[in-house]
Formats: sequence, C-alpha cells, structure tokens
Amino acid sequence: MDVLGLIVSVLYQFATNAAFLLLAAIGLIVILGMMNIINLAHGELMMMGAYTATIAFHRGIPFPIAVVLSFIVVALFGALLERLVVRRFYGRELGALVVTWGVSLIMGQGTLILFGPFMPAISIPAGSFALGLYSFSVYWIVLIALAVLIILALWWIYQRTPFGLMARATMQNPAMARALGVNTDRIYMATFALGAGLAGASGALFAPTTSIAPLMGQQFVAPAFITVVVGGAANVLAGAVGSSLLLSAVKTPVGLILGAFLGTVALLLTALIVIRLMPDGISARLQAIAERRVRR
Amino acid sequence: MTAAAILRAEALAKRFGGIVAASGINLAIRPNELRCIIGPNGAGKSTLFSLLCGIYRPDAGRVLLRGEDVTSVLAFGRVRMGLGLTFQTNRAYHNLSIRQNLEIATRGAHARASEPEKRFHYALSIFGLDASAETPARQLPHHKLQWLEIAMVLAGGPDILLLDEPTAGMSPDETMQTARVLQHLNHTGLTIVVVEHDIAFVREVAQVVTVLHHGRIFAEGSVAEITAREDVREIYLGRA
Amino acid sequence: MRTLIGLINGPEDIGRSQWFWLLASAVLLVLFLLPLWASEFQSSNIAYYLLNIPMALGLSLLWGYCGVLSFGQVAYFGMAGYAYGVIAGNLAGNTWGPLVGSLGGLAICAATGAIFGYFVFYGRVQNWIVPILTLVFTLLLETFLGQTAGYQWRIGHVQLGGYNGMTGIPSFQLGSEIFFGYPFYYFTLAITLACYLTCRMFVNARYGKVLLAIREDVIRTELLGYDIRACQLGVFVMAAMLSGMSGLLYVQWGNYITPSQVGLFQASLPVIWVAIGGREKLLAVAISTFALNWLNYALSQAGNEYAPVIMGALLLAVMLFFPGGIIVTLAAGRRRRERSRVPISANEEST
Repeated sequence: MDVLGLIVSVLYQFATNAAFLLLAAIGLIVILGMMNIINLAHGELMMMGAYTATIAFHRGIPFPIAVVLSFIVVALFGALLERLVVRRFYGRELGALVVTWGVSLIMGQGTLILFGPFMPAISIPAGSFALGLYSFSVYWIVLIALAVLIILALWWIYQRTPFGLMARATMQNPAMARALGVNTDRIYMATFALGAGLAGASGALFAPTTSIAPLMGQQFVAPAFITVVVGGAANVLAGAVGSSLLLSAVKTPVGLILGAFLGTVALLLTALIVIRLMPDGISARLQAIAERRVRR
Repeated sequence: MTAAAILRAEALAKRFGGIVAASGINLAIRPNELRCIIGPNGAGKSTLFSLLCGIYRPDAGRVLLRGEDVTSVLAFGRVRMGLGLTFQTNRAYHNLSIRQNLEIATRGAHARASEPEKRFHYALSIFGLDASAETPARQLPHHKLQWLEIAMVLAGGPDILLLDEPTAGMSPDETMQTARVLQHLNHTGLTIVVVEHDIAFVREVAQVVTVLHHGRIFAEGSVAEITAREDVREIYLGRA
Repeated sequence: MRTLIGLINGPEDIGRSQWFWLLASAVLLVLFLLPLWASEFQSSNIAYYLLNIPMALGLSLLWGYCGVLSFGQVAYFGMAGYAYGVIAGNLAGNTWGPLVGSLGGLAICAATGAIFGYFVFYGRVQNWIVPILTLVFTLLLETFLGQTAGYQWRIGHVQLGGYNGMTGIPSFQLGSEIFFGYPFYYFTLAITLACYLTCRMFVNARYGKVLLAIREDVIRTELLGYDIRACQLGVFVMAAMLSGMSGLLYVQWGNYITPSQVGLFQASLPVIWVAIGGREKLLAVAISTFALNWLNYALSQAGNEYAPVIMGALLLAVMLFFPGGIIVTLAAGRRRRERSRVPISANEEST
C-alpha cells in the first residue's frame, strides 16, 4: 500500500479543510474581534467577491488581478454598509445581527433579479499533479499558501503598523483610545471594510471551486460561523488559526470515513462541546495561557 | 479568633490582563459582624465583592461560606445559601415599579426562605417604601432607588449582606438614615459588609474596618485604630 | 376564574382597556364567522396565516421577553412536521394515528430543544452565539433532509423524499372527524387562540415575571437567586414546542413538507415577523405575523422574486426607524397620548 502517498494525502486534506475554514471565516472574525458584531451578510459579501472576480475574469482580466479587484470592490461596499447601517447598532449586537440579515436578504435576491440565476463559471486555474495513487490540486496548494500569507499579513498589520496599534487600542478600550486621540469611528469603518474585503477576496478565491449563483454564499455560512464560534473574539488571529486547525482535525478524519455531510455535523458537535468547556472560544483560552506564561 | 468566620476568603487572587485586581486576600468575617471595607479608588473593593459572590472566578484561592468551600458554586447558588449583594452602580430594575421589583426579589432565593408575603412587607417597611405607585423605579429620587435595591436583596432573606457603596450620591441626612437602618439590621442578626468612602458613615457603623490598597489588604482593625493611622491617610491622599 | 382573567388582562402585553377587548371580540367574531362569506380556498389561506403565529409567539417569548435570539426556530417547525408525517403515515388507517403523530412531533421538539439548549445555556456563552448556532443547526437539518432522496431513506414505509419532500401526509383526525377545509380552519383558529392565550397568561404569571427580570438585567436577577440557565432553557423548550405546533398545523394544512421549510430563507421569516411587529409584545407579534404572511401571499401572486427583497427592505427600515417594532411603537404612542394629561407619563418603549 502506498503509505507515503496516503499520509501526504491525509495531510493535504487536513490543510485544505483548514484553509477552507480559515478563508471562509477570516472576514467575519476580523469584524467580530473589533466590534463584537456578527455580520450575517458575510455569505453575500463572499458572493459579491465571487461575482466581481467572475465578471472581471470573463472580461479578460487575469485571475489574480480579479481577486485583488474583488477585495477592493467589496471593501468599499463594506465601508458604505458600515457607515449607513451597521454604525447605528454598536452596543446592540442582536440588532446588528438582524439588520445585517436584512441586508443579506436584499443582496441575495437583488443579485438574482439583476444577474439571473446563473453566471458562467471559472475553471480552476493550474491543474493537478499526482503522487503515487493520489492526486492533488495545485490550486488548493495555492489557497493553502494564501491562507498562511493572509494570516501573516494580518499579523503584520495589527502588530507592526500604526493602524494596527490604534485598532488594538480600540478593541481593548474604545473610550480610552478616543481620549488618546484615536478616531475610533474611522477605525471601525476601516475594520469593517477590511473584513468585508477579506470576505470578497475569499469569495473570489473560492469562485473556481464552485458554481457561481446568487445564493452561493450560503454554503459558507455554516462553516464560517462554526469557525467563529469555536475561535471566539478574544484574539482575532489566534482564534482564526486555532479554530481552523482544531475543526479541520475533526472534519478531516470524519469526512474521509463517514462523508462530507457528517463531517460538517461533527463540526457543529465540536462547536457545542467547545462552548460548553470554553464559553469564550479557543482564543480566550490561548490568551489566558499566554498571560500566565508571561507572568512567570 | 473564637467564633468561626461565616464568610472567609483565603488567598484570593484575580488579574484582568495586566491589572492585579486582587492578590493574596485573606478575609474572615465573623457572624453578626458589621465590617466596612475602605480604600482608594481602584483598590479592588468591587472586585473582592464579585469574587465573594461568584460573579468572577478567582485565579487562585478559595471562598468559604460557613466553612463550606463555595469557590466553584455559581453566583445564584451562593445567594440561595444566604448571600446578598448590591452593586456599585444601582441595579434595581429601573423600568419596573417598586412592587414589581420586590415581587421578583421575594421569589428569587426560594430555596432558603418561605412566606414571600411577609418578606415583601418586611422589605418595604425597612426603608418605608411605598409600593402603591405604578411608576417605573427610575423616577424615584436617587436615595430611594438605592434603598430599593437594598430592600430587594433583603426580600430574599439573606444572612449576609454585601453592600457596595450604598450611600454614594446621598446627602449626609440620607447617609445617616441608611447607617441607622444597617445598624438595626445588624442588631437583628444580619452580618453586613459595606464598601464605603464616607468616613462619617464608617465611624458611625463599623465594628471592624479593612483597608484595601492595590488589590491587597493594607490594614485591618477597629475604627479608632484605622483612622489614627498615618499610612492609611497617605494611601487615600495618594502619597503611598 | 378571577385569577384567569387577571392573568389574561395583565400588563405584559398590549391591550387591557374595555375598548381593546371590544375590538378584539369584534375581530374574533369576524374570524369565527369567516366561512359564511369566504370560500374554502380563502379560509384555507387565512388558516395558513394563522398557523404561523405560534412559532412567532415562541420566538417573541425567547427574544422579546427573555433576550435570547434564535435564528433556527424553523428547525423545530420542520422536525415536528416530518415526525408527524412519519408517525401518522405509518399509522395510516388508525384513527388515533394523527393524534399520536402530533404528540410525537411535540415530544421530539421538546427533547431536541432541551439537549441543544442545555449545551448552549449551561455553557453560559455570549449573546451572539445562540443565533449563530441555532442557524447552523437548521441549515444542517436542511442539508440532511435534502439528501434523503431514494427508497432507502424511509422510516417504516414513509419515505423522507429528499429535496422533493414528503407528500401524502395525513390530515389531522380526532376519532372519525377528519379536519379538512372549513373544519380545519376552525381547528387552526382554536389552536392559535389557545396558544396565544396560554402565552399571554404565562408572561403575566410569576414565572413570566422572571423572564422580564432576565431581560432587564441578567446579573441582578442571578444575584437574587435565580438560576438563569434553567429559565432560559425552559423558555427555549417552550419556543421549540410552539414552533413545532406551527409545523404540525402546516403539514396538516398542506399534507406535504419539504426541506426548504427549514432553510435559510424560511429561517429568516419568524425573525422578520417578530422584529417588525415588536418582539416585546405578544399581540404585536401575532398581528404582524398574520399581516406579513398575507403580504407575502399577495406578493407571490404578483411575482415571487421580489418577496425576499421587500422583506429584507422592510426589516431594514423597521430596525433603523422603529427599533421596538411598528405595532409596539404605535401602541406605546397611543398610550402616551392617553396619559398626556397626567404629569408623569410612563415611557414604555424599549429597544
């Protein structure tokens, strides 16, 4: 039996599952970490990114540029959304949830009315290669690499830039940050735009892997939300990474043995167990461990 | 130490990120004692109360109620064991009437006490509150709102009362009225622990005073001992 | 009897004056006499608007009275419907089949709600986790039901039917009386009314007051000795059963059910009805549910694709401009005008 190939294949599955969860959830987590708001229009933002990339691609724009374009377009839309709608619901998390759901309904059906039920698909760029009995998609390897890159980029933004410093200050203590001269309104808008842009970029990146339809965002809703619940809001990056890895570690074996649907069910069960044991998510637990180590 | 402590904290510690809110706190409240806890702002007084009640879990240490370790008992469980707490920011139900406030309060710690009607009227009578008006509690004058919250807690029939700055915002008259009521309650057998800033109040009611500073117990003793100490005055004036 | 009236006429819902009861009686009379001038088809439509009310009431109890938002109430709607289809379908020919099926449906809702609720409420999670997890649950249910096509997916001899759903579900039956057409309309009216009155008495009763306290200030309520987790779990199970009741009426109305009933769009509807009417008052929710279902039907006659957009826009508008809900805001405004002579006017609007 091709043991090496099997091991590599399982690792590959693990990495692709983790990358999928991370990319699907990162936009949501960025917003949640800053404003404690769950953006229920997240799936539709991803759809918007996919549509932008598809339209651009079919006009001859190279795919990588199309992805960047998606980021920009959806980020701008996100900024608009924050300014007009979401801003009024700070401090009212459940209200924000409901209102973003209203937005998602409008976006989803609006797209159906404007563009019709189908869009021409994008075929997966770059082919696949084989290792023994197992084949691997180059594109997914790229996605895994991009997921890592995005995390590193976000780490750099939050830890090494002035914006990141102000953002972290605002996350910890908005009143204090304001007193120190930080324009928290602009930070919120920028963060929402960043989260939206990431959602759009993820949607664009996933576009070649699925069919492009107005309600395509819905397939990402369940995995993204579970990832966010397990990760928690205490630390955006730690939560995103820790959660994706943990959930992939559950989904990969279950999915391989029992099938994709039961894999997703296992994710929900994992989330229920995690919140029972760590109500504030993995990131809160990791944060506590890190603090204890600093003290010693 | 002859009488065993009814409420005890052993080596309690709590951090919030980089802030040490409590460190190595050892406290022993005797039954029927009237204790005042004083200390400058940020000394950790409210945190201590939250730890004693179960709102926060300590990073280290134990809380004992009548000798029983209740550190892992949830807040509502400790209330059912006889603890009562009022908050630094008034937490009566501002949108509900006095009657509704007390009705909810009398049925709370139901495992402990019986005769809700009796406790309802008792709670009303303690501060002379009038339950006939249907107006929301937030329209009450501030001192009555404070009294309402204390009455609510009393309506549950507790043995131990933890009051976090009950006279904040009250006039000297109202403060003294509150002091007299607390003394009366203490005479009926209640153990009372009060966090306070008002020295006149402390002088009036306290049997024992504990001074908190930077999350640690700085000093403990009678009113006379504590008020005579130079170093206590220093920490209040911010020189220490 | 006096306590019963007191409970129904309590302060926790809209409408206590004589005027109100006069108006309410008139409306009930109209509903009762409807079959005199409405065709069976029209009565059937009205029955459809009515049968969604219990589910909305459950969400109102959970969200408006207790402060817990669930996006997945439709999961219990669907579970009860499918369970009834399976049980009653397998007991076809037995006159008590439908009754057993109904009780089975409600039992499944209660059990599932209890288990799910245990993990969520005893975990003492943050507020936003409940809507997310309940939504995920209903989405997974939809996915599961959607892939149950084929003969191997059956319980007893009732097929689950995959995306096409379950058909041929028996109508409700008590003894030899089969509820169809006009009788079913009365049946639905009776059950909806019973659910509404029960909920109304509940919120005015002592246990209901606890919910109010939890909504006002969770920490204060816990520090009065209440086990918040148990209260929330209790209401969650109630809401699950009320949703199940709507689900049962639905399958008994249409004799079919599909997985889309538990899908994303359907899941949003109860939230929309409750938000638009005003989640903190049961009557507001009952009225808005009826009205919005009527609106949805009217829209679907005119071209279905705009319905979600209009619903979404309506929801947006209400959340932005009438955060307490349209009907609740109107009722509060009316009360304020009535009391404007008295110097102290109680402002009972809440967001």
